[in-house]
Amino acid sequence: MTFRLTCPVCGKRDVYEFTYGGPERGPRPAEGDAAERADPGAAAEAHFRWAQFRMNRPDPREEWWYHGAGCGVWFSTWRDPATNREARPGGAETSGNEASGGDSS
Amino acid sequence: MIRRRSNASGRSPRPVRPLGRLRSALGAGVLRPGRLWEERPLRRHYDVVIIGGGIHGLATAYYLAKDHGVQDVAVLESQYIGFGGSGRNTAIVRANQRTQENVPLYDEGLKLWPILTDELDFNLMFHNCGNLNLAHSEAAVAAFRLSINTAGFCGVRLELLDARQCGELVPALDVSDRPAHPIQAGMYHPPGGVVRHDAVVWGLARGANLHGAAIHQGVEVRGIDTEGGRVTGVRTNAGRIGCRKLGIMAGGYAPAVAAMLDIELPLNPLTIQAMVTQPLKPFLHHVVSSGAYDVYANQTLKGEIATGAHMDPQVNYTTDVTARYFKHQAEALTDFMPCLRGVRFLRVWAGLADMTPDMAPILDGNFAHDGLYLDAGWGYFGFKSGPVAGKYMAEFMARGEAPEILKPFALSRFLENRYMGETAVAMKYGQWD
Repeated sequence: MTFRLTCPVCGKRDVYEFTYGGPERGPRPAEGDAAERADPGAAAEAHFRWAQFRMNRPDPREEWWYHGAGCGVWFSTWRDPATNREARPGGAETSGNEASGGDSS
Repeated sequence: MIRRRSNASGRSPRPVRPLGRLRSALGAGVLRPGRLWEERPLRRHYDVVIIGGGIHGLATAYYLAKDHGVQDVAVLESQYIGFGGSGRNTAIVRANQRTQENVPLYDEGLKLWPILTDELDFNLMFHNCGNLNLAHSEAAVAAFRLSINTAGFCGVRLELLDARQCGELVPALDVSDRPAHPIQAGMYHPPGGVVRHDAVVWGLARGANLHGAAIHQGVEVRGIDTEGGRVTGVRTNAGRIGCRKLGIMAGGYAPAVAAMLDIELPLNPLTIQAMVTQPLKPFLHHVVSSGAYDVYANQTLKGEIATGAHMDPQVNYTTDVTARYFKHQAEALTDFMPCLRGVRFLRVWAGLADMTPDMAPILDGNFAHDGLYLDAGWGYFGFKSGPVAGKYMAEFMARGEAPEILKPFALSRFLENRYMGETAVAMKYGQWD
């Protein structure tokens, strides 16, 4: 089943209007010559972990999305991979999302 | 005391040879009428516990018991065996991957199907009808040439066909300039084909059980215990079960299981969709796939066209399907196989694929805790690789040391910038798409 995401500019829109940008993964670790000199090897490993390693629990998490077929804004929102629905920041599924997913306007 | 299958149905009991002797020696279980494996009481400790009753877990249990004398094995399945990817894939098998680390593994896997059919005394319905991949651009043809050279290097049969030859092989293809993406060339892989996936699950479950492994359905792992750097057991809905070695072979659910140990992995579970049409007279005698159209298709023995390939890019543990892909599949299929216009879809379903950044699996052991083994990241290649992965993971788990063929697949490659380059595959996925 498809679902709708809430764009901060356009409101609730079909998820296929958006491009998935991956989960929020914190600041990019220090890299470059200085970081490499400080702790050889560790900077590269930190970068690989930041770039690709994920804790994919079936729990709500913050993600980045791009409204490419709409206003063109990048924004972050919460979604639960266990239900594939938008969620409230930090947890519970948003109320009324079931209904909004069901009606196809 | 073992109850044999009742003869009341009028059918004669299936002769079990030569494994029947083994069964009577192991005893303790109950083989209910119509069942292929015994139900045994769940014990509080096993030497080896495997999470996931799919093809990978069952094959590992089978080879552990058969080849390595490790019979104190329990396969824990939270639903029923074959519930996950093992029963949701499109049953295609092939060995035309891209890199020289991957091809030998898949090649041995492909050659295992007839051997397993004999060994398990169970018809896996292997049909080596051949696979035809289609190229619609110069870049795709160049990628085919790379694969064909790798295959030649590894002794796997793989040939380049021009568009006319594709049309001769599969007359249903429109090889003219009319389609949106005209066919430029084909990559033909005669030894590939299809295998009945349910039969593989049932055959392996029966084989594993006859050799001594226990299969427990409806046992959901909710936590994993460790002590002093070792895995000591799992917490389940049926209580705690101790073990010396633990295999995570949960297919698309592997990232969620690893997260119970706070282990981050380069694994993204994505939902992949597939569907079948109404049954038709036999006309498609090969597995056909196209990267540009994002489609693979084959005609099942029932006559349905089984087709799929679609993945939503966001991490997702549901098996929901979407109308969007239904429409895409119809448009794509009928563009290069116009004879399918007007044919109806009967069913659509979805499964999970655990995708790694380089499209190659993670096969590792003793990597975060002693006694912890991981067989994951197969993406949508988990079916074709199941038995061969089980064979080598069993060796890995029995000896504690990685077999040579599995060494390139260690998790550490993602920290050493040694990605495998299997990304030259049909489908696009992930946030970088």
